[in-house]
Amino acid sequence: MTSFDIVFGSFLVSALRSATPLVFVLVGETLVQRTGSINLGVEGQMLVGAMAGYGAAALWGDPWLGLVAGAGAGMLLSSVHGLLTLAARANQFASGLAVWMLGFGLSAYYGAGLVGRKIEGFGTWRGAGLDDVPVLGPIVAGMTPTVLLALVVAPAVAWWFWRTRTGLVWRAVGESPEAARAAGLRPIRVRLQAILLGGLLSGLGGAALSVDHTRTWAEGMTAGRGLVAVGLVIVARWNPWWVLPTALLFGGAEALALRLQTADAGVSAHLLLTLPYITSLAVLTLTCLRDRGQAAPAGLRAVMDR
Amino acid sequence: MSGGTVDRARAMAAPLGRPALAAAAFVVLAAVFFAVIGRNPLAMIGVVLEAAAGDSYAIGESLVRATPILLCALATALPARVGLISVGAEGQFYAGAIAGTGTVLSMLPTPGWTMLPLMLVTGALGGMVWSLVAGLLRTGLQVNETISTLLTNYVAALLVTWLVYGPWKNPASQGWPATVEFPAAARLPALFDSRVHAGLLIGIALAVVLHLVLTRTRWGLVLDVLRSNPRAGLVAGLDFRRNALIVMALGGALAGLAGIAETASIQGRLQSDIAGGAGFSGFLVAWLARNHCLRIIPLSLLVGALLASGDGLQMFAQVPSSVTLVIQGLLFVAVLLVNGWLDRKRPA
Amino acid sequence: MHLQLRSMARRFGANLAVDGVDLDVAGGEVLALLGENGAGKSTLMKLLYGVHRPDAGQITIDGRATRIDSPRDAMASGIGMVFQQFSVIPALTVRENLALAHASTPWFTGRGARRATAGLAPLAAIAPEVPMDARVSSLSVGQMQLVELAKALQQDPRLLILDEPTAVLGDDEVRRLWSLIRGFATRGLAVVLITHKLADVTACADRVAVMRRGRVVATGAARDLDANDLLRTMVGERDLAAPSTAPLPADAPTRVWIRDLSARGPGNRIDGVDLRIARGEVLGIAGVSGHGQDVLADACAGVLSPDAGEVIVDGETLFAPRQREPRAGRVAYIPEQPIRNAVAPDLSLALNLHLDRLDTLPAIPDRRRLEADARALLTRFDVRPADPGMAAGRLSGGNLQKLVAARELRGAPALVVASHPTMGLDLAASAFLYHQLFALAQAGSAVLWISEDLDDLLRHAHRIAVLHRGRIAGVVPADQRHRQTIGAWMTGHADAEAA
Repeated sequence: MTSFDIVFGSFLVSALRSATPLVFVLVGETLVQRTGSINLGVEGQMLVGAMAGYGAAALWGDPWLGLVAGAGAGMLLSSVHGLLTLAARANQFASGLAVWMLGFGLSAYYGAGLVGRKIEGFGTWRGAGLDDVPVLGPIVAGMTPTVLLALVVAPAVAWWFWRTRTGLVWRAVGESPEAARAAGLRPIRVRLQAILLGGLLSGLGGAALSVDHTRTWAEGMTAGRGLVAVGLVIVARWNPWWVLPTALLFGGAEALALRLQTADAGVSAHLLLTLPYITSLAVLTLTCLRDRGQAAPAGLRAVMDR
Repeated sequence: MSGGTVDRARAMAAPLGRPALAAAAFVVLAAVFFAVIGRNPLAMIGVVLEAAAGDSYAIGESLVRATPILLCALATALPARVGLISVGAEGQFYAGAIAGTGTVLSMLPTPGWTMLPLMLVTGALGGMVWSLVAGLLRTGLQVNETISTLLTNYVAALLVTWLVYGPWKNPASQGWPATVEFPAAARLPALFDSRVHAGLLIGIALAVVLHLVLTRTRWGLVLDVLRSNPRAGLVAGLDFRRNALIVMALGGALAGLAGIAETASIQGRLQSDIAGGAGFSGFLVAWLARNHCLRIIPLSLLVGALLASGDGLQMFAQVPSSVTLVIQGLLFVAVLLVNGWLDRKRPA
Repeated sequence: MHLQLRSMARRFGANLAVDGVDLDVAGGEVLALLGENGAGKSTLMKLLYGVHRPDAGQITIDGRATRIDSPRDAMASGIGMVFQQFSVIPALTVRENLALAHASTPWFTGRGARRATAGLAPLAAIAPEVPMDARVSSLSVGQMQLVELAKALQQDPRLLILDEPTAVLGDDEVRRLWSLIRGFATRGLAVVLITHKLADVTACADRVAVMRRGRVVATGAARDLDANDLLRTMVGERDLAAPSTAPLPADAPTRVWIRDLSARGPGNRIDGVDLRIARGEVLGIAGVSGHGQDVLADACAGVLSPDAGEVIVDGETLFAPRQREPRAGRVAYIPEQPIRNAVAPDLSLALNLHLDRLDTLPAIPDRRRLEADARALLTRFDVRPADPGMAAGRLSGGNLQKLVAARELRGAPALVVASHPTMGLDLAASAFLYHQLFALAQAGSAVLWISEDLDDLLRHAHRIAVLHRGRIAGVVPADQRHRQTIGAWMTGHADAEAA
């Protein structure tokens, strides 16, 4: 095995691990936007997911219960966005920010007692005999269950979205709610389902972050990952198939920042931490430059163009 | 003609009914929250009032919190006049703080009377430049301004952290990451012998001026048309790009001003996390005021008082100050709920 | 199926769109629901299909009172509808659109819904040539309508409603549709055909119901009715002093030259359009919608910057690539869909009337003067209510159109670009608008008039140019003898020119 393999392999593993929480969020927000809503509240949903997940893992000592609790908390908070935008027809951007504020406050309040607590996290498969398998071995061995879950969820949702009847219905609602209604479908119900599923997945992503990736809880720990996801949905061109590579872009930028930091490359850690945001904004800009928003589902364009 | 009369009657009644309903919804939501966390809602409301406006010190602290919120609310309301949803006040705040601090540090050995005006001007310019990044991305490349402002916020905050840990760190401050203390020449005059500074008066004056400009001048009408229907504005020969850039730039300048004023007069030095969510509270206030510059004044005082009460809550009721963040979020939810509900009959 | 509607009523704001309508339809018959724009035909049928809810009235199907709150309910009751504004989804393929609504589409549809075979039969039966796996956005308007029709037929309806189905079709497509409709009736379906064209009635209707101002004013067997009587019933006993254009002197000088103009808009383009319009001339632009009309209008009004060519008015180039002179006072523009393109809905009527000349106002405008100016204009153009302080969005569609006309047609512009200026207006309001438009022409303006209504163009324009796929297929004098040629050009048969 060459040293390049090792360096590349371990970099890929850390990129994957950084990207994992984002994959869940990105899949969820892609579905939300595909059905014609936009939810900036994913940031807050991730936070309550991270807090609830960490709390459950600390309380019951089982990281899997943490993931379940996080997903539930995220879904619960997303129902506020559903209520505000679908029942009260509030502005989607403002409603998302309200959900964010609420999630930030709630997670800070309930999470105050969790700061500094230790939890039992997931293990990797290191030492399970995989390490000697060439190329792929070290990569798989360095993964945790949430990484594998993310690697399964994204393509599974993409497959469901493009190949099944309900996926077709969701796409139709995002393109034209009026036409969907005329065809006897229920666009409001579909949008609510998408918002709740998006909430579930962003809560799961938050829990994956606190329970597995960082194994800590801190106030505001998601640091804009949810908002990055809202932008990266556009980069992934609203296509669940593109979620994995797009999330890896962010994960790669974050892993690179950490790598450079530990390598003591002479650049400040704080400057390096801006990399993921700048990378996201840059690829977002390139995407917009290329197709000028024409790739968006028509129902979403009505929201974004105002 | 009767249609118009009904319109006017409704327009006059609405500003009264709307806030009353929203306030009622907010009180209910807050009471439910206090009940859920096991506190007596009435007692808690009493504590909040006490902590926000109980004595002259509490009032002073409320005004201190309100000052940056007022400026950041104006920074949100201006772009909203052409229909842009900018959430970038937080980042512009930091950019202004950086630029103004740079001016102060470069003039340091010999601070003269020019320091204060130069610091304020460069602070405003810093916020302006930061805001124009999102503005240019929107007008030139159709990049959604809400998303780009949210992302650049994080970058600006990290830049401040980098500066105060690195190049601008005060070597004398041991482990504490901050710049050297600003000289007295960089401070805005204090009011009523408290921490309240002239930035509050500047903010109020700017709100009044902006209100007059936006409602009385031809330019205000142009912005109204572009907000109401950009396509009709284009057909009428109005320039959306130019006007969008102007309001983004002016908005950024206001938030930048808030940033450097807070740095110089309240903190006395540049350090991390000084905005403390003022940009987002400003967004909330602008939304509560429906981007009406005069209404922003009392509403920013209200939200400033709410946030200032957090410290009091911690002290008197042993409740974490993060409760005020939840309360702030509930206030936003209540207002969106009530406004959305009242407007839902309006054609989408 | 036997359908009875009793005392149906629906109000939109101040406008009583449907006002106590009784109507009966039986299986095996085609009922033509005839009336001018805004008579309430579409609204009545949308009440039946559950798109809008009635304020009052009763729907009885085969003797049983039926409540219809949504299109879903309507389908369950055996009612299908083909909308005027299509409800097919352009971003999906034909197959996906058909699979979407069909009850027996399987859970797993495969890529592009290729495994969904149920529900494709109606389209295969009526139009086998339509490609199943093409995106709907790539189809022609006629094909889209057939998909729409197939979608309605999937549900095996016993009553089929068609809303102005012939409005957007070429002559061949119209004849095919007529025979399809006759076929449905033969198979026992009840068909309601909403139309404002007498030709549709004579070609395929059994019975006619005429609507005017929200009421059914006459019903009868189609073969008993005289065309002139029908027209009179539709329009009512109003004095229809038909608007007309003055004959154009043979030596009228060119006032506007659209020289070799190419431009791109969203999903649409024009390519090398070259037209000269004489002083006092009304030049009609005919064509099937979506062939570049909106781009042509925008480019001629200077809203869209052209890629090549120029618009020359009175010898001066106004619009060219990277050149755009202010149009106020020289070029008047009535765009299509005024609520989307020409009006700021939440601002006052007074401000909307000054929209095109905001830059000429003083830096601090005097609102009272604006309102006084506005009041005079509102009265002159009969906009109701004439309240300058009211928000424009509260006007009805017809009054909005008049508001835009009041703003654009008040001066003496050199060029008037009018895109579907009478769409949504009733006959009296249309006549009023045509009077204003043609009076301007008589006073010397050059008028570029875009319309899909070939009858109107033939009646009033001096010449007609046909736009097809962004190019001018040909220009002829507006004369009934050229009708066939124009129709051929519109559908892309350029070689029919010789005929």
